[in-house]
Amino acid sequence: MNDHPITRRESIKKLFKMSGGLALAGALTCPFQKTISAWAGSTHKKFIVEGIGRNHEYSVKALVGKVFEAAGGIHKFVSKQDIVVIKPNISWARSPDLAATTHPKVLEAVVELCQEAGAKKIRIADHTIHDARRCFAITGAGMVAKKTGADLVYPRASLMRNMKLQGHRLDVWPVFLPLVEADKVINLPVAKVHSLSGLTLGMKNWIGAVGGRRSALHQDIHLTIVDLAQFFNPTITLIDATRIMVSNGPSGGSRSDVAVSNRLILSDDPVAADAKASGLFNFRPKDIGFIRLGEKWGLGTTEFQKLRQHKVII
Amino acid sequence: MKANHLVWIRRVSQTFFLILFIFLLVESRLPQDIYLDYSIALDAKQDIELDSPVKYFFQLDPLIWITSLISGHQWIKGFGWALGIVALTFFFGRIFCSFICPLGTIHHMASYIRPALKKQRMVSANQKHFSQRFKYFLLILFLMSALLGLNLTGLLDPISFFFRSLALAVFPGVGTGIKELLDLAAQSNIKILNYISYTGEVLISPVFGYGYKAFKSAWFIGILFLSILFLNRIRPRFWCRTLCPLGALLGIFARFSILRLEKDPEKCTNCNLCHLSCQGAASPMPGQEWEATECMLCFNCFNSCPENAIAFKLAWPPRVNKKPDMGRRAVLGGLLAGLSFPLLGRLDGRLHHVSDARLIRPPGSLPEKDFLKLCQRCGLCMKVCPTNAINPTLTEAGMAGFWTPNLIMTQGYCEYTCTLCSGVCPTGAIRKLSGKEKIESPIRIGSAYIDRGRCLPWSGNGPCIVCEEHCPTSPKAIRFIQGTSLSPTGKKMNVKLPYVDLKSCVGCGICEFKCPVKGNPAIRVIAAGESRSVANQILLTL
Repeated sequence: MNDHPITRRESIKKLFKMSGGLALAGALTCPFQKTISAWAGSTHKKFIVEGIGRNHEYSVKALVGKVFEAAGGIHKFVSKQDIVVIKPNISWARSPDLAATTHPKVLEAVVELCQEAGAKKIRIADHTIHDARRCFAITGAGMVAKKTGADLVYPRASLMRNMKLQGHRLDVWPVFLPLVEADKVINLPVAKVHSLSGLTLGMKNWIGAVGGRRSALHQDIHLTIVDLAQFFNPTITLIDATRIMVSNGPSGGSRSDVAVSNRLILSDDPVAADAKASGLFNFRPKDIGFIRLGEKWGLGTTEFQKLRQHKVII
Repeated sequence: MKANHLVWIRRVSQTFFLILFIFLLVESRLPQDIYLDYSIALDAKQDIELDSPVKYFFQLDPLIWITSLISGHQWIKGFGWALGIVALTFFFGRIFCSFICPLGTIHHMASYIRPALKKQRMVSANQKHFSQRFKYFLLILFLMSALLGLNLTGLLDPISFFFRSLALAVFPGVGTGIKELLDLAAQSNIKILNYISYTGEVLISPVFGYGYKAFKSAWFIGILFLSILFLNRIRPRFWCRTLCPLGALLGIFARFSILRLEKDPEKCTNCNLCHLSCQGAASPMPGQEWEATECMLCFNCFNSCPENAIAFKLAWPPRVNKKPDMGRRAVLGGLLAGLSFPLLGRLDGRLHHVSDARLIRPPGSLPEKDFLKLCQRCGLCMKVCPTNAINPTLTEAGMAGFWTPNLIMTQGYCEYTCTLCSGVCPTGAIRKLSGKEKIESPIRIGSAYIDRGRCLPWSGNGPCIVCEEHCPTSPKAIRFIQGTSLSPTGKKMNVKLPYVDLKSCVGCGICEFKCPVKGNPAIRVIAAGESRSVANQILLTL
């Protein structure tokens, strides 16, 4: 039925056609430049915000609010009537304290912020590694969805569609549709070590956004990560480093693998966000292959001085 | 009570129990409530368990109870219900067959709605036939075999048979059909079809299972089910009359039933209407001796008699009814076969010498010898497994273990914290585990080994370590050592070479499942090292 796969551009065009006036209205009301310019070599200066919870009893929700405030407020990224898709890392059926998955408190705070910004629909989508229903239940994502009313998208085979990624290594690959059929994409990874790629951060989170023979991606992990990051290109990346997995990654399984870090990193530059987070593990950004390649292929920068830098401490 | 009322009470009861059976079958799945309070799940205090009593029909089944009792020598919790059915049968005959048994209901429907035989041919088909002794042969076979430690009952026990057929063949078959249609719609460029596809999938997945469910040898299970349905066209309720070992057992208990068919030969005009509708071929006509052990108490004869020549009445004090017509051959044959099967089943040496390396039992399974005493091959564990790893065996467990559960890691894997299968086993062949026990003991179901000739880093075909990434234990059972391997072009490659640490490996199989080397993965799980077998251990100490 599909002789040639749909490219990203085509799918967006189609989406516009389908949603018709509504999408047009949305496009007119929202400052179009801000979203597009987030990566296509614009004059707009990108930012990176590091949020630190010093106080032992700090509230994750408050910290999430503060980092978005420092970045200019959620309204800058999410407009009224937007369909927002959030891509957490809930790959493993592991409880939140084991740091294998995005903390539900961070997820909840982000969903609530999007609701405040007037998003029409908020979807939480991840193509999990373990059985998705168990992942939803055990990581707490299910409860967040129930509490906030966000949609939790089950990764079904029928939602995978072959698309042209136009990457350096990947050409046509099945993509998890909800992550492309949205106005705004928020990448919400957790920071942890990974045996092959060194670290699992924002850009690597996109492996959870595709289907197909995912385990074959590891044969050229860094370049495929960069290809995927370029294709999915989120509006913003918020790295959950409230607690980080420092050993036995990426699945962990023991509390001894976990270190408390009390940090959040927010950026509209995917490379910079990852570079910042790599410091938490005492890596130099360029030690990590996909960060190095990401910078090389123009996805972002590891030189923080080129960005507007903020630090919030509560 | 009027006959017509009795028949209607029966129909309501049949419908109720059939729907209950199917409801519980559908409910035998990972609980749909994904909105868990994670703060409780945090300490793994809360296991994901089923709330519905999915084992209920198995616990109603006196044959499962009695064979488990004599082979496993244990009283299994919940089988008080079966005792209740025995008591019921003692007073009211085989009322279970026509009021409760869901498989009986299916047969009743198949033979009653649009019957294949008409008039005189139906009357003669409903005459008592010597082949009805065959079920006593099967019953004695199963009892004798169970006594000698091989419980084959589940192969033909109606509850197990029906559950297995529906759960492993009918539901997955229908589900696959619907899903392929929906997938076709999902690939369409017409948006409305995409929405229909998604909605359809949301609606049907909880019932038919997520994704394409697959069970090895399910085609055979399905064909058998269709065949026994077809047999109803040769003789109504062929299965219940001729094959059902539970029917035979209840028939024996029915000998003292106080609910009896009273006949008045004076009134009978030999119209044969009672024979025309008789479900059990139990000789309802006046002039013949009523077969209490064959009668399923469907009350059709009572209802159809125009002359009121027959009626079901409660007779007190109890009188001994006609004894079951087993025939000496069925008894002796059953004893001999029952003696033979457990011995034949041991001839392949799997129990005493070496078992199949690929026979990986669900976590919590008893040692093989005890397992075969209790497993009913009902398919409940296979139905609930969220990753579809548990399959019925064909040859892996030998003749004795035909259709017992076996994990096929290329199809699914055992999820590290999941204990669903252990919670649903009706006879405790898989004992109840908690998530904590499974992880902390740990319960091993096998161990992984690497096939270096196929492994990508080991064979010099590139970096990989997907197995290490997915390994769920902490510390990981799959580690790697930085090393070099020769690529096929002779170049030295710097790669991470995976190793399996047998001390930590639990045999969950996610490595085999996720390995990019398809077909015959480069890392495979074998049963060696499984906790349940002392003989199967690899290491001296763990």
